[in-house]
Order: sequence, then structure tokens, then C-alpha cells
Amino acid sequence: MEQNDNIQYRSPLKRGELDPNRWRNTQIGMWAWLWQRISALAIIAFLGIHLTLPYRPLIQFLLLITVTFHVVLGLRVILMDFGIVHAKYQKALLGGLAAVGAIMFIIVWTGIY
Amino acid sequence: MTDKKQKSTRVVKVFRYDPEVGGEGHFDRFELNIEDESITTVLDLLLRIQKEHDPTLAFRYSCRISMCGSCGMVVNGKEALACQTTVINLQKGDITIRPLNHFPVIRDLVVDMDPFFKSMDNALSFFEPADDSPEPALIRPDSKERRLIEYYTECIGCGCCVSACTMAHWYEDYPGPAALNRAFTLLLDSRDKLNEERMSQVLAGCYNCRSELNCTEVCPKHISPTRSLKYIQLLAAKQPFKKVDVVDMEDKTKEAAPEIPAEVITPEVSRRSFMSRMTLAISGLMAVIIGGIMSVTALVPAMRKRQEKWVKVGSVDEFPEGVVKTVPINYTVKDGIYESTVTKPVFVRRETESGEITVFNSRCTHLACVLHWDDKKQLFLCDCHGGQFYPDGRVKAGPPPRAMDRYQTTVKNGNILVREA
Repeated sequence: MEQNDNIQYRSPLKRGELDPNRWRNTQIGMWAWLWQRISALAIIAFLGIHLTLPYRPLIQFLLLITVTFHVVLGLRVILMDFGIVHAKYQKALLGGLAAVGAIMFIIVWTGIY
Repeated sequence: MTDKKQKSTRVVKVFRYDPEVGGEGHFDRFELNIEDESITTVLDLLLRIQKEHDPTLAFRYSCRISMCGSCGMVVNGKEALACQTTVINLQKGDITIRPLNHFPVIRDLVVDMDPFFKSMDNALSFFEPADDSPEPALIRPDSKERRLIEYYTECIGCGCCVSACTMAHWYEDYPGPAALNRAFTLLLDSRDKLNEERMSQVLAGCYNCRSELNCTEVCPKHISPTRSLKYIQLLAAKQPFKKVDVVDMEDKTKEAAPEIPAEVITPEVSRRSFMSRMTLAISGLMAVIIGGIMSVTALVPAMRKRQEKWVKVGSVDEFPEGVVKTVPINYTVKDGIYESTVTKPVFVRRETESGEITVFNSRCTHLACVLHWDDKKQLFLCDCHGGQFYPDGRVKAGPPPRAMDRYQTTVKNGNILVREA
């Protein structure tokens, strides 16, 4: 690449850089990744509160909902990692898992209270 | 049909960068009248801008039918082939056109694809036949490998996936979705010889993926590189491979590299060995913590000195001499954080002469049924299996193996107390 030596390149752009619709263009998979990290931290916090203040319905509710959320996002990754669900169905997979998670949440919650 | 033309005027903002000027680059605005949005592609817009507004605009294109992969760019924030993207499918309003991300920009929309081809090289993206037979190999279309590869060999190398991948920005040595997809198609190819070499080259890179699936979203050929690289990981787990060092394709400036003294070279920790060490360390830590908790919970209650508990049965005056009376005793039991009240009957007998007080446990020593006092027969009787005891607790008849159990008893302030364990 000798002929390029005197050309000054512009450093590579980043994803989302100079993008007026950056939030709109943040894809569902990126949100899934981000929210799984956030829910993991939330579980640590809620679990700590739950252990120090047991049997408080509000804390139980928050813990159960964050755990359900985290499980849904985790199963999404596991199912695709092992090739059980084809990656091209990722949106349907996430929607389906979220629906199952919501149903399980309602069943467990109404079972407790 | 003709009267349904999607006529419009659009503002097209195109990224401009002049290598002779340098700097960060800027956007140029062009206002274009579009005759029919449904048959106008982004490439058409760029060609028109070049012809009608600014002949210095630089961009790449070649085939115009989305099979060469030269016109990959970022349109309204999403990677696409300019020739494949019709204007009607873009959101209303301005159209923003940028060069691909994660590649150095040479001029305007033209990027240097060198990093892309380097990572393709590093992934050994070429086919190396395992045998030198001149006969064509026969791979049945319904064979497992063919079905797994799907149409994933159709990659045109446009670089859209690398541009969309956030990890390509954060990990400089990440091979990127396209190279890993190519490696995937060759790893599954039973005719190929470089299986272990290729696996050694790409496996570590696969673990940089965070399953955001941006590559899958933008691929103009509807390939999912995420699936490909996940499958490489699965392959590595299924069939262990021997790590092979691959001589660098480009033979990077051997003589220019300064000689590093042996003591400076630190042994490189690969992701694989790091992960196995970490797994071992974390497992060890978990075992210690869980084992510690379990042994403490198992041993401490047994070692803890039980508090002596004396339960009131009644005052001495309530029990006439020579009479056996059945009375209930109450006390609370604490089990962890729970407290419960226990009520159970005991037999109290006061000797005629000595006035000595004996308190019997009401459970039969045979199988722990509750006994009752028969005043007529002057015996303790068990209804379960016919066990009989004398008033002093000795066995008279039946299966009980030993005399009735007695409580440790004491008299305090005229009250009878028994010791409850």
C-alpha cells in the first residue's frame, strides 16, 4: 500500500456517531444485552434487601420481576448459543420468551399471594 | 400504475471528507426532486448528486444488483447496500448517508477495507482440499453439513456487518462477523484440510460477541454471522482440537521487529486458559464458601449448649398422695425464626408415704403412642398395641421394651417443674 502513504485517512467512525436517529437505530439485541446487565445488578441489590428484610411483598415483587426479566434475556442467549433457535428468529424468540415470562410471573405471584 | 408515482422532494445529507484538508469531516446538503420513490435507490441519488451538483463526490459501486458488495454504507444510521435500498423504504424526512463504521475513511463515502480483508486472511478464509483427487467431491444437498451451512457461503464481503457490530469497535483484534461466518462455512466443510488451524485462529475471537445481533439485522444477504460464530463455539466444545500456530499470512516486517530479551516476554494467557483457570478458581471459592456455610449450620447447633428449660406442671397441692393425674404442660419452642407453642400431656404421681413426685412422659416406649391412665386397673395402658405399665412405670405386659420415661423433676416455691430438652 505504498501509494496510500501520503494520504491522510479520517479515523474510523463509531456506530451511532453522527447518527441523528441514534436511539431509534439502537437495535433490540443491543437493548437486550444492556438490560440483562442492568437487571443483574438489580438482582444483587434486591436480593440483598430481600435477605435483610424478608417477607416484604414489595421487595418480593421487585425481586421476582427482575429475576423473571433476567431469565428471559438469559434464555434468549442460551437458546441461540446452542443453536436450538435459529438466530434469524431472534425478535420472535425474545417476544415469545417475554410472554412466557409474564405468564410464569403471574402464576407464581398469584400462587404466593 | 403510472399515476401512482411517489413523487417527492428530499434533503440528502452526505458525509464529506477531503484527505487533503483533513479534519473530522462534515455533511453536505442536497435537495433532490425524486420522480418516483419506489423505483429510486440511494445509489441513484448519489449518482444524481455527482452528475448534477458536485462531481467531486466519491463513493464506490459496481454491479448495481447487490451482488458485488462495493456500495455498503450507512443510510439513516443503518448499514445497507446503496443499490438495494429504495428511497420509499426510508423514513420520511432527511436522508443521511455516511461511510461504513470501523473502517478508516479515505474520502467521502469511500473507506479503506484493508482491516476487513486482513481479518478474512487471519481466519484462513480460503479452501484447502484435504485430498488431491481430481474428481469432484460429492456433498449431498441433504447432508448435515450442507444443511447447517445453509446459504451462508453467499457473503459478498460488503462490510455492513462489521460496521454494525459494536464489538468491532471495542476489540481491535476481533475478527468481525464476516470473517467468522466465512470460517464457519469452511469449518463445516468436510473436504477442507485446515480445520484445526482455522479453529485455532478464530475461536478466541468468537467469545467477543455479545449477541446483539446487529450483523444479522443489517446483512443484505440475510446471513446471521451471530449464528455462525456461536456454532464455531459449539463445534469447539463438541470436538476438542489441537491448537496449531499459524504462521502470519503477511509475514509482518520480521527484520524490523526489535529483538525482545527472553526475560521480558511474558507467557501469553489465552482466553481459553484464562477461562479454565478462572472457572477453577471460582469453583474452588464457591466450594469453600458453600462448604463453610454448610458445616457451620450442621455443626454449630449441635455444639451449642442447650439452654435448660424448666416447665411448670402445677402446684404440689393439686396432686393428692397416691393418685396419678394427667395434666397438660405448655411451653414455646424456637426453631430458627419461628416460635411455636407445644402442648402435651404428662402423668404426675405422688407417692403415698414419701410424698415423692414422679412425672412420666405420656408416650409409650414401644412406638410412641399416647398412653392413658386407667384408674380402675391402676395401670397405664397403650391402645395401639396393648402395652401395659405399672403405676411406677415398669412394664407389665405387651411389646414395650423398657419402663416409661421420666422427666427430671424439681419443686420450687410449691410448684412442680419438669425439665424439657
